[in-house]
Amino acid sequence: MTDVLLIAVPAVPLVGALLVRLPRTPGGADRMNLIGANISTVLALTASVVGFVHGARGLHGSWFVLDHAGACFLAVIAVVGWCSAMVSPTYLASAGKSLFTARRARAWYYTAFYLFWAALLALALVKNLGVAWLLIEATTGASALLVAYSGRRNALEAGWKYLVLTTFGLAVALLGILILFAGLAPHGGTLSTLDWQSIARHAGGLPHQTALFALILILVGLAAKIGWAPVHNWLPDAHSEAPPPVSALLSAALLPTVMLIAWRVVLTLGVAVPHHLADHLMLAFGLASLAIAVPFLWRPMAWKRLLAYSSLEHMGILALGIGFASPLATVGVIIHLAGHALAKSLGFYTAIPLARHDPSSAQRAPRGLARLSTPVAAGAGISLATLSGLPPSPLFFSELLILLGGIAAHQITSVSIAAVLMALGFLGLAHALIETLAGESHGHRWRSGRTVRLAGRLTVGLTLGLLALSVSAYLLADSHAGASLMRGIA
Amino acid sequence: MTGAVTWGLVVSSLAVIVVRRRSLAIALVAAQSLGLGLYAIAQGSRTSTALAVAGTVLIAKALVLPALLLFTVRRARKERLIATEIPALGRLAISVAAALAVEQSIPRFGLAGAGVEHAAVGVLALGILTAVVRRAVLFQALGFLIAENGIYLTGLSLPGGLPVFIELGLVFDLVVIVSVAAAFAAKIHEQLGSGDSSLLEALRD
Repeated sequence: MTDVLLIAVPAVPLVGALLVRLPRTPGGADRMNLIGANISTVLALTASVVGFVHGARGLHGSWFVLDHAGACFLAVIAVVGWCSAMVSPTYLASAGKSLFTARRARAWYYTAFYLFWAALLALALVKNLGVAWLLIEATTGASALLVAYSGRRNALEAGWKYLVLTTFGLAVALLGILILFAGLAPHGGTLSTLDWQSIARHAGGLPHQTALFALILILVGLAAKIGWAPVHNWLPDAHSEAPPPVSALLSAALLPTVMLIAWRVVLTLGVAVPHHLADHLMLAFGLASLAIAVPFLWRPMAWKRLLAYSSLEHMGILALGIGFASPLATVGVIIHLAGHALAKSLGFYTAIPLARHDPSSAQRAPRGLARLSTPVAAGAGISLATLSGLPPSPLFFSELLILLGGIAAHQITSVSIAAVLMALGFLGLAHALIETLAGESHGHRWRSGRTVRLAGRLTVGLTLGLLALSVSAYLLADSHAGASLMRGIA
Repeated sequence: MTGAVTWGLVVSSLAVIVVRRRSLAIALVAAQSLGLGLYAIAQGSRTSTALAVAGTVLIAKALVLPALLLFTVRRARKERLIATEIPALGRLAISVAAALAVEQSIPRFGLAGAGVEHAAVGVLALGILTAVVRRAVLFQALGFLIAENGIYLTGLSLPGGLPVFIELGLVFDLVVIVSVAAAFAAKIHEQLGSGDSSLLEALRD
């Protein structure tokens, strides 16, 4: 029964990608999207609950492994995917020109969206590094088309940059995987040689040089897709030019899900590398990403571009949490992942009414939203306040847990540098928050149209989710959750 | 046989970095894929499944993908000269130096011969360098195929070869990525009247 459920998790959105092409009218495609999104989300959340209930050792099948960490990621992908699917009709209604012919634009959008979502859901479940690589590569094709959906010159540039950089990055990762496969060949030489459990079991017997070489190539290659500095150049452009529902899926689901694969690589292959080099590599990516992101958070910037640089900052914080490799930091990573996903999605969805009522927000920082629209100001304010780590947001607790986890792991230098960079990032975003809400603004108060009402509803729903996360951060900090999160693959 | 294949791959990769005509570059990459495919089939004790897979890969990479890229070239016939591109000798010098540096810094990683390892890594590096030193988007797309040929050479030289699932998945992904790249190339030509990727530099902070 569980096998069928877990096959249905990626299969239903895959079928959805075909079915959304059938209706002849935009309304029909929207209705099909609504049905597909609801079924996909229910299935994914059910699987996630099964994963939590089943215990830390995880569920193992012919192609999947569902441990606690995988269940968390699956839930996040399901929620963000559902929200983006619900928001998409409103975006499409006001989108105008697109990359595709007007008659089929909506069908193409939904097809690419569901293919992208299906690949992400499968990625959280697969138990094999080789298959995970294929799925990550598959996300590139669908999401590159979505990034360039508007067909504008800037969108084409962003989509092309994303396609080129991530494809070459993944080619480097694939070379690393083949080197690992060659090293592990005496233990089978079949597809299952690259199963997480097989890598964990046999990695200790690999020559250090082979293991190190494979690990570096895989992590550097995946870093290009996660958007870790210094291979992050595509990230600000793709996130700022993609349609807002797609930006949310890219930032809140794609980046963390690829990071889950990098995390599993560190846990399984890292043991074969001396001196905790895998953890140090993660810390280096984390600190570099923070250091590159922070100066941009201090600059007045277009709304979605600011959120994109904030993604770079938060992916850096997550890398630090993984690199510290202590139970406290691991709990911090999971809370941070979920909190970032909800807050960042809310921020990107707020871009829809912003673009509708203030098209110049695509070029410059929005100001004085509190005077123009209460629901939009609330959405933007809660998103930025959470992303800055203002208490009592869940990201305040998660950042604290990650830093405390670093101290517990005796990484005092890294913790000190990270704390300074996080504080600077907080100040930059806090300044942006004040300007966005209370800066000087011109023009009349916005009418409460469809996009503004949508922003209001999403703000209420996602804020409740963020509050629940703050409470769980408080409860989980003192539990054994951190130690059990990744036990399913060991 | 192996030496001829590896040298053929390296030389044709360098030629793609130098040649001006897009159709000639596509033909060179198709020839690369054809050579690799035939090499896979010719490898002695392969099973019928492996033969079928090698045949599928050969058809996809040596026929379908080049045909797709040629179709894109024909749709954008009026190619302007790309003024910002580095001269051919400069491109060649940069690429040879960078590829040699990468290849020399790579330790042995378990393939049958050191020569194959160097060639595989060198061709992967030349694929990436093609995208760096060539300004035309179509050449950057060809860079994907060259890099993938380097990886395919690695896969062919593994003890026991690549698992069938991975090999077929790889080809499927490559078809998707090159199709998307071709769609982008066509759209960029349509909007800019040129495939010059240096015109796509508006997004900067």
